[in-house]
Amino acid sequence: MPGAKLAFIGESGSGKSTLLELLAMILRPTESDVFSFCPRSQDDNHDIVAAWQAEDVDLLSDLRSRHIGYVLQYGGLLPYLTVRENINLSWRLLHGPGEDVAEHWATRLRIAAQLDKRPAELSVGQRQRVAIARALAHNPTVLIADEPTAAIDPLNAERIMELMVGLVDELGVTLIVASHAHQLMQRAGLSMIDHRIDASDPKSMRVTVSYAA
Amino acid sequence: MSACFVLSLSAVLLPLLVLFGLKFGIIGNLLEPIKQDPRYLQILPAGSGSYGPDWFEAMSARSDVAFIVPRTRAIAATMRLRAQDTDTGRIINVELIPSATGDPVLNGLEPPQGYETVALSKDAADKLGVSAGDTLEGILSRTLGGEQQTELLPLTVTAVASAAAFARDGMFVSNDLLVAVEDFRDGRSVGALGWSGATATEGPRYFAGFRLYARSIDDVAGLRDGLMKQGIDVRSRLADIELVQSLDRNLSIVFWIIAGIAAVGYGLAFGSSVWANIDRKRRDFSVLRLTGFRTRGIVWFPILQAMLTGVLGWLVAALAYFVVQAALNSLFADNVGGASVCRLLPVHFIASLVLTLAAASIAAALGGRRLARLEPSLALREA
Repeated sequence: MPGAKLAFIGESGSGKSTLLELLAMILRPTESDVFSFCPRSQDDNHDIVAAWQAEDVDLLSDLRSRHIGYVLQYGGLLPYLTVRENINLSWRLLHGPGEDVAEHWATRLRIAAQLDKRPAELSVGQRQRVAIARALAHNPTVLIADEPTAAIDPLNAERIMELMVGLVDELGVTLIVASHAHQLMQRAGLSMIDHRIDASDPKSMRVTVSYAA
Repeated sequence: MSACFVLSLSAVLLPLLVLFGLKFGIIGNLLEPIKQDPRYLQILPAGSGSYGPDWFEAMSARSDVAFIVPRTRAIAATMRLRAQDTDTGRIINVELIPSATGDPVLNGLEPPQGYETVALSKDAADKLGVSAGDTLEGILSRTLGGEQQTELLPLTVTAVASAAAFARDGMFVSNDLLVAVEDFRDGRSVGALGWSGATATEGPRYFAGFRLYARSIDDVAGLRDGLMKQGIDVRSRLADIELVQSLDRNLSIVFWIIAGIAAVGYGLAFGSSVWANIDRKRRDFSVLRLTGFRTRGIVWFPILQAMLTGVLGWLVAALAYFVVQAALNSLFADNVGGASVCRLLPVHFIASLVLTLAAASIAAALGGRRLARLEPSLALREA
């Protein structure tokens, strides 16, 4: 679903993060029926379950670096790198050192003045903007955000959601957000998705996702 | 990993280096001279014997023999000396000590050669008022057929041995001169010096004694036993040697125990800090993996970082060690007569670097393996 903007809504402990981690291919599924990743078209098909079973973690790493941008609840910035270096990280992993794409993204996310500071000098909201810039800097197919605004005041949260949605619309990136802020997601124009967790056996969590387009 | 880590690493390594420095300084520089002392290495024949060229050849071929020269009868091995260029005019009687290249008593001084050059003991040189480079006149007398005969022999002093080397009036001479003096005393002719007398006897020459020095103090016992087995009664300082040996052995054992404990402790201390440092970075590693870095690539990072820290810490410790070494050596300089109490060889620095890198790489590899096995999602949830 290229360009789709989806939101998983639920209280903490409802399995949102688990679901996003599975989608981001950083959590090994204990059991799965079908999970294939088709970044461009149905023909460009990667069987993620098979990759996990074959321990082909390099394939997963490569898919992540190419197609996925991930925004964590607390930014997940590297404290010893500047904002500029943090933003460049994902892009340079793919294309090697050289070009500086941080300026562009910092301008888009209105943090250009913070480029040469370290994350510790920034406010939480600014850190989230840096995290979004880093998640988008390498032109991913999918942007995954786990509670991107939970640690930010409502006013700022609204602005950041607007910025993020504006950018993914413009870039045609699929957006998947996990949040407990139902109204905020609705106002930002995201489609709500139901996910159900079979809690009968907590050791092997089963997630059923249903989506009405 | 920071400057703090580098400093804490060198703080643990420095005492270990100093300890080793003291071990090698004290054992190496204070015991080594004792172990090299010719007085301990010498083996003296107890009586007079008869030793031919074959015997000397066989003895000097032995690996535990450092130096051996023939000695003539003590009664024949003396000479009167008069200094040439001084006003003292004093004549002294000296013992002749056979010498040659490698004589441990001369300790690197130029050995006497042929019939012209000799080395004097300190006492003899002082009494004659001569030093190296001066000339002497040797005076030899014999009574042959009721007639008093005297020969004068011009000699050049090439070296003066230390007072410790020979405590009486003595002159180190070559085998040629020693044999010539014995021949003269025995009434035989010495062609090379133009001295007349009875024709020298044919056949191999036999000597009454020898000057023998073992290669090391550890060789003295075996050498003595070998000579005893040949029926040659000898005197040595085995009792003193055993004292030195046990002192050396026990000191070494004590040092190695302390150093062993310190080295293991150092390895563990450094290894666990590397491990802890890697563990602290779990979240950052997870972020890197989330960004799409390959696991193998980022696991190299802490290993290289640990190595770099190890090398830097080692470097700081080595530099600090030199300061401590200089301080210790100047502090104790008076007590040990200029020898250094603290000293390390290049091989010790290399060994400590290898230990450092081994501890770093083992700990980093274990920590890295743990990181690699970690599900990236787990560390991400640790806020």
